Amino acid sequence: MSLRKILIEARLMLLGVVIFIWTLIPIYHLFVMSITPRVETFAGALWPSRPTLENYETVVKQGHYYLEHFWQQLWNSAFVAVMVCVITLVIASTATFAISRLRVRGGRLVSNMALATYLIPPAFLAIPMYKVMGVYGLLNTQWSLILTMVTFASPYAIWVLKQYADKLPYELDEAARIDGASPLQIFRLIYLPLMAPSLVAIGTYALLLAWNEYLYAFLLLSADKDITLAVALGHFLTTDDAPFNVLMATGAVYALPPAAIYYVFRRYMVSGLTAGAVKS
Amino acid sequence: MASVSVEAVRKRYGALEVVHGIDIAIPDGEFVVLVGPSGCGKSTLLRMIAGLEEISGGVVRIGERVVNEVPSKDRDIAMVFQNYALYPHMTVRENMGFSLKLRKADRGTIGERVKRASEILGLDTLLDRYPKQLSGGQRQRVAMGRAIVRNPQVFLFDEPLSNLDAKLRVQMRTEIKALHQQLKTTSIYVTHDQIEAMTMADRIVVMHDGIVEQIGTPLELYDRPANLFVAGFIGSPAINLIRGTLRRDAARSWVSTDAGIDLPLNGNIIGQDGQAVVYGIRPEHLSPSDSDGLPVTVGVVEPTGASTFVYADLSGAQICGVFSERHGFNPGGKMHLMPQLDRVHLFDSATGRRLSA
Repeated sequence: MSLRKILIEARLMLLGVVIFIWTLIPIYHLFVMSITPRVETFAGALWPSRPTLENYETVVKQGHYYLEHFWQQLWNSAFVAVMVCVITLVIASTATFAISRLRVRGGRLVSNMALATYLIPPAFLAIPMYKVMGVYGLLNTQWSLILTMVTFASPYAIWVLKQYADKLPYELDEAARIDGASPLQIFRLIYLPLMAPSLVAIGTYALLLAWNEYLYAFLLLSADKDITLAVALGHFLTTDDAPFNVLMATGAVYALPPAAIYYVFRRYMVSGLTAGAVKS
Repeated sequence: MASVSVEAVRKRYGALEVVHGIDIAIPDGEFVVLVGPSGCGKSTLLRMIAGLEEISGGVVRIGERVVNEVPSKDRDIAMVFQNYALYPHMTVRENMGFSLKLRKADRGTIGERVKRASEILGLDTLLDRYPKQLSGGQRQRVAMGRAIVRNPQVFLFDEPLSNLDAKLRVQMRTEIKALHQQLKTTSIYVTHDQIEAMTMADRIVVMHDGIVEQIGTPLELYDRPANLFVAGFIGSPAINLIRGTLRRDAARSWVSTDAGIDLPLNGNIIGQDGQAVVYGIRPEHLSPSDSDGLPVTVGVVEPTGASTFVYADLSGAQICGVFSERHGFNPGGKMHLMPQLDRVHLFDSATGRRLSA
């Protein structure tokens, strides 16, 4: 390897290290505080003198004023996220099948308009959305949050899925038609299996978008038993002496499911299932 | 098995008409090849027969039934695509059995038909593999297997061999022909390769710019091309075409080229003295002679072993000759090439129509 290559490699490595540390510091901070006893919370040590799991115990046993409904709220978060994921997948997969495979008239316009919706930041729509949900009588129900998050997740999901759907060779649909498949059978037996990797990727996106949502969850839900954990975490900061170490322990628990989902589905994030379908 | 009949079929995309009223009658069991340069409408015609394109005008019949409005799945046809179009998430077995599964055939029947088709095609050891684990030729065979399993009325082939390398193409060509001789299912085969057309077809349909130029057996097209286009398209290396003027007097006819060379004709021609014509002679119908015939200067000599290709200059016109005997050709040397007079094709220069009887 020439000196020049080594230099380039070293520079990339250095950049990688900086980004790695930059990303890890907050997580490290969160973790350290979550295993620090209350009295030492702001000791500023890189590692607590007496590491403890008592904060986690508090969380799991709902042993704090802010954590009275911890398990319920965790369930709320999970329910909302899963519903958003499922509904977004149904909408996006059927929409892209219609646009890309059935080639419905005006489909291209729909997918372009889908992208245009991102010209408006979601926060701008907070008040209108609140009003709409009020009119529907859905305020303070989790369906208001689910529908809102589906609204925000679907356009991107349609856009991305369409890119993948367009790459599936159209001859597969034609071959299936000649083999005797109806559009629904093509959707179920050809389209969905071949789109599985992108569906997992898009499903993960929708799931995490809903899981991480704060603004709309805060706005649309108010009862302690209805809110998601993200909103409950925010409640910790409503007093001056917030119990930071319990907050961080809750935060760590809250961060586990997304991390696990990423880990489990990481192989779906790369596609390649279509290899061998046609000669490219 | 069934006959296929195409009557005055047209295809329009908006205002643009790409297929201009085509008539072809294909009897039951025949192997017909649609051949023509790209953009001639042959694939579009095949896709209309398959039901993948709407028919803008005319009638397509399979058997006695008009199928214009019948969806593909109910036409009882099978199609082999250029890029195979195998379902990548299914094994060879599942690919081949897919159509039967959709028709709710019981598992025993599916297994038996898949087994029989795979034995015919030599795929029996590959049934549990996925398409991506197969070579190009094997994939092509699976695509054919998928068609055979159905036992359809008609096979449609859309340039099935163009993705294979040259050697495999020749091999598969023979296999498809042997398969047709065995199954005797009516087949319509689209290709742009005239050698494929010549070697495989019972009858060839030569298409050009959305019309049929000529329909006939391979040898009819070779021996009596109806016009300049067919003459130029069929045969390899291509026919020599030399522009000139038809001359006739009481005793004989000949063609006089612009460079002033006289090309010999026999009597069997229609046409007037002074008519602008194109004189066609295939490379294999020229023979070297000492003093008679066309005076040429030898350019490039290409021996292939079995025969020798000679490219020569006839006063500015490029002439190709193919000889199975091994003459000693010298690049740059002068010689004469004598056309076989009964093999000369004469065409009207303006209309392209055949003038020799």
